[in-house]
Formats: sequence, C-alpha cells, structure tokens
Amino acid sequence: MNSQRFELVTGPLRSMRRAIAWWSAGMAALVAGTVIFWPIFKGSTGITDALNHLPPTVLTAFGLQDFGSPAGYLRANLYEIVVPILFVATAVTLVGGQTASDEAAGRLELYLAQPVRREAVYLGRAIAALIGLAVVTLALLVVQIVMDAVVDLPIDLGFLLPTVLLCAFVGVFYGSIAFAVACARPRPSVVMAVGIELAVLSYLIVAMFSFSTVLQPWSQLSPWSWAFAGDPLQTATDLWRYGALVVPSIALVLIGLRAVAHRDIAAG
Amino acid sequence: MDPVLQVEGLVKHYGAVEAVRGIDLSIEPKEIYGFLGPNGAGKSTTIRCLVGLLRPTAGTIRVFGLDAAKDGVAIRRRIAYLPGELRLPERLTAAQFVSSIGRLRGGEGAARCQELAGRLQLDLDRPMRELSSGNRRKVALVLAFLANAELMILDEPTSGLDPLMQREFIVLLREARDAGATVFLSSHVLSEVQRVADRVAVLGEGAVVASGTMADFRGRARSHVEVFFADAPPTAELAALPGLVDPQVTGQHFTATLSGPIGPLLSLLAQHRVASMLVEEPDLEEAFLDIYGGGKP
Repeated sequence: MNSQRFELVTGPLRSMRRAIAWWSAGMAALVAGTVIFWPIFKGSTGITDALNHLPPTVLTAFGLQDFGSPAGYLRANLYEIVVPILFVATAVTLVGGQTASDEAAGRLELYLAQPVRREAVYLGRAIAALIGLAVVTLALLVVQIVMDAVVDLPIDLGFLLPTVLLCAFVGVFYGSIAFAVACARPRPSVVMAVGIELAVLSYLIVAMFSFSTVLQPWSQLSPWSWAFAGDPLQTATDLWRYGALVVPSIALVLIGLRAVAHRDIAAG
Repeated sequence: MDPVLQVEGLVKHYGAVEAVRGIDLSIEPKEIYGFLGPNGAGKSTTIRCLVGLLRPTAGTIRVFGLDAAKDGVAIRRRIAYLPGELRLPERLTAAQFVSSIGRLRGGEGAARCQELAGRLQLDLDRPMRELSSGNRRKVALVLAFLANAELMILDEPTSGLDPLMQREFIVLLREARDAGATVFLSSHVLSEVQRVADRVAVLGEGAVVASGTMADFRGRARSHVEVFFADAPPTAELAALPGLVDPQVTGQHFTATLSGPIGPLLSLLAQHRVASMLVEEPDLEEAFLDIYGGGKP
C-alpha cells in the first residue's frame, strides 16, 4: 500500500519534471540577471535621490524605498512583486496541470479506475506540485546566495530565507485556491485564471489601498499584506505570517478533496 | 450463482440532458456480455457509472455484491477498465505507464506484460506521444489483460486496431473468460460482439431497447433467401408463407427476406424442384439496425 501512495506522488512528479526544471531555470536566471547589476547601483545616489522625490506612499506601494541599499534593491527588483507572482504562476500551473488539465483531457481516467480513492489521486498530485515548488524555491535560494557572494551584495541570510519562504508560501496559498477550484470544477482556464488573477488582485489591494488613509487599513485583508507588510528583507518575520498563509492553504486543500469526492469525473 | 454485476434503475442526467434513463442489467459470472448501441446511446455514460467515475442520478449498481456507491475501491481492485476515449500521458513510455498503473494495483507481472506486448505487437519502449491511436489502444489492452481481473469492463476495445489485432483481441478475450473472467464488452462493432458475446443488450437513447442471448437475436434477425427453381417458382404459395417478406421473382430466380423460423419455407421447397438455394446467416447488424430504427425484428 505504501508503494501505491508513493506512486501517487512520484508518478505526477515524473510528468512534471520538465516543468519544474524550466521554472527553476527561469527563476535562477531572473535572480542572477538582476543581482549581477548590483555593482552598478551599489553606492549610486542618483537613482535613490530621484526616487526620493516621489511621495512616500508611492515608494511604499511599489517597494521602492531604500533602493540603493541591498535589501531595497532586492525588494524593488525581485521580492516585492516579480518573484511572488512567479511563485504563484509556478504553483498554479503545476497544480492546475496535474489536476484540472489532466482530468479535462481525460488523462486521469485510467488512474481513477484503479483501486485508489480519487481524493488520494488528487492529494498525491497536490503534494507533487508542492515538492515541485520546493525544488524551484531551493534553486532560487541557492542562486541568490551564490550571486550575492559573487557580486558582493550583503544581505543577511536570516532575512533572505524568510523572504524567499514567504514568496513560496504565497505560491502555496494561491496554488491551494487553484487546487480547490480544480477539485470543484476541472476547467483548466478557470483554474489558472482564478489562481493568478486573485494573486494580482491581492497585490493591487495592498499597493492601491496605501494611497488612501480610508482604504489603507483594509489592505490587511490581503494575503499579500500578511506575507510582506512586515518587510521581511529588513525585519524579523513574525511566525503568524507563515501560519496565515499555511492554515488557509490546508483548509482549501481539504475543501477541494471533499468536493472532488462528490462530483463526476470529467470525460476526456 | 449471484450475478457479478447487477444494475437496477440506473439513471444519469447531465443537467436537463437525460443520458441514461433507467437501465437494468444483470451479468452472470464467466459471461461475455455485449453492450451495443450507436454513438450517444449512453453506453460510455453507463460504463463510467459502473467504474465509479460518474455519480448516478438514481438507481443502484452492485458489483460482486458490493455497493458501487460505497465500496468503489474494493470493487476496482477486482475489475479492469478500458475507456472508450483513451488519453495517455504523452511523455511516458508505454512501459513506464504500465509500471505506474501496476504499482497502483499493487504490482503486476513483468513477464506477462512482455508476453501481452509481444502478442499485440506493441513496442513498450516508445514514448506514448509517438504511438498511433491503434498502438495506444494496445497499451490500454495490455493494462486490461495484465490485471487478471474478475470483471473486465471494455469500452470500444478494438477501436483503431487492424483486423489482425482485432482477431488477437478476441483470442485474448476468450482466454480471459476461460480463466474465469466476466467481460462487459461495449462496442458498436457488431461483428466483434457477435463473435464472442453470450448475451447482448442494445441501448438506444439512454435505455435498453432489446436484450437476450445471441441465439435470441439471431432468431429475430432477418435472413436473405435466394432460390433457383428448376421450374417456375410457386409464387402464390411463397407469398402466403408467414415471415417471408419482399418476395421478388425473376424467371426461375426467387429472392425474399425471411424473419422467423425457416421450417415452413423448407417444407414448401421440398415439394418443388429446386436447382440451388442460398440462405445467408442471420446478421446481428440487421437485427440491431431494426431495433434501433424502431422496427420489430
């Protein structure tokens, strides 16, 4: 029975390995391509001075504060928007591809006709996507650490690690939404759209609401705020921020599994 | 002996569409049961309910005495399923895919897999994306026969196979039955069902419109009769025979279609000088077309 459970995870991982490799390579290239320009900006006051002419709310909204510092440079170029969105895209495409896309194409038919519960098949695919995301996270972290050393970008690992983890957890959160949608309604385009668009919306809530004193408190409802409002590249991250992303993710997966157990499997 | 598969009042709706409208089936052990019907008749929907992929709107399905709604895993451990619409993982080789499914079933015999692949002339080492539709079908057939299942549920199993492989499939099917398997064979290839099935149900618009043994169907099917008389045909006597329709006389050549027993015709012919005679084997296809066309065979 253990080999059966193992297969439910390793089978999807085998079919995802190219996607995982491409996402890892893409993330690594993005980080390397960004960090390599740090020596040009290091100590340069020109851009910092220019940015300082912008209103503080604009700087905060787009993560541009302290652009000339190592943390500010990484935040503005990578960890404020780009990397979290890419993690969301990675998670949503991996989990959506293994669930909604495979089911809608009829590729799950033979698996679900075996002596396994359909919840187990879906959970196996969610775990495989999670492992895939972990590999991408690790690739990004390793390249970030190596490149930091190469170009002499001093960033404390105690801040870098939580930042990268929070980005990955944001991916897990929206991947879980995509998973729940796929479990309820296996339409690949809907799954991808809901997962990614909700992530963009939650970022926009944080960014746009910061311009209004009336709306600003409501930005705390956004998962983006739960993850990044504490400025994890410069400040110690509170544990609740991880929990705020992980606990709903687990709940979403459980809701999804309950949904898939009680519906028809789509024909190919 | 308890039936292997018992379906009572199976109904499946997709919104307002009634795909299956109250099907009853009972399949005995070691039986090959043909499930016939044109495209869209509800065959695949019924089968997907049997395998647990669809939730019936109403009705009960019992397999090996177990309730399909509650004991799906236990049932699927004892069945092999070949879907009609076959979609396989493109990047895996056939061998990788067969191994993957085998691990989900708790392990299958590698030697048997090689034997089946050899008999079906399937190269297990090629990626699925390079396989033709016929070869993909062979992959699914390897999986179905590899499982040594007590009940095989096969939906259009020979679709895309060449005649040689269709014949090999029939041989494999008979071997499986001889080894104790029960087979639920859905097809619209009537000749295939005709060759192997013990009993048949014909589905039309989501309901069983006819069922019975193959002998029943042959008895109800029409035969083409062709007689060359040595003298002038006894036209009036032939026209009065029960079951003989559409009689045509051209000189000493007589043709007609016969439904029902042939005895009265033979008795009549015995009283006349017949040069030669041809009675075609009753064709299930005609019986099927009659049933589906709404006529009574």
